[in-house]
Amino acid sequence: MTTQNLTDPFQIGDLVKIRNSGYGRARIVELRGALGPKGARVYRVQVRRKPRPAYIEVLEEQLEAVLPGH
Amino acid sequence: MLLSGHFQGFCRDLYSECSQICAAAVPAGLLTTVQAQFASELKLNISNPTVENIRKDFERFGLLLDLASADPANPIRVTHLGHLNFWRNAVAHQKATPPPAGVPPVLVLADIQAWRASCTGFATFLDDIMHHELLRILGAAPW
Repeated sequence: MTTQNLTDPFQIGDLVKIRNSGYGRARIVELRGALGPKGARVYRVQVRRKPRPAYIEVLEEQLEAVLPGH
Repeated sequence: MLLSGHFQGFCRDLYSECSQICAAAVPAGLLTTVQAQFASELKLNISNPTVENIRKDFERFGLLLDLASADPANPIRVTHLGHLNFWRNAVAHQKATPPPAGVPPVLVLADIQAWRASCTGFATFLDDIMHHELLRILGAAPW
């Protein structure tokens, strides 16, 4: 797992939404590193799904922060 | 355990990088769908980097990955990777049973160095294979 860098726009545990997707709230579980095209940051996020949560790796630009309680 | 984890990390990173490059080539509306398919039930996220797990994950890109016969140097690498994963599990799970025939009965530095050389060889091999496959899929060099 990549070491968390406090300058990253998202931190592990942050609640986010994936733009242009049918998923609801998701949670950042891992910063995968600069593995996207042209070195874009990739995050592993957990999305709620029954019976088990699912995990997706998405680019930073696909994520928007969700404020707690929203 | 460190060597096994490091090699698993390399394979996982290479897979992620390749999947993101492929996903970037689809229309924006399909992006998350493709990413979800690439990430679903990925063996390398939860299991050791065995030949079988590497094959299952990377064959999602539409290639047949016969690691043992694809390169004359690979059969010994396959053997070493099997030994590495056996010893990784023996240490991690504190197995008391002796290793099966063919697996080194005790850990010595020379064996671990040979396993590391095989992991390095596999890493270069996988990188080359995926570069070639993505070039075929996308029509442009991926890196």
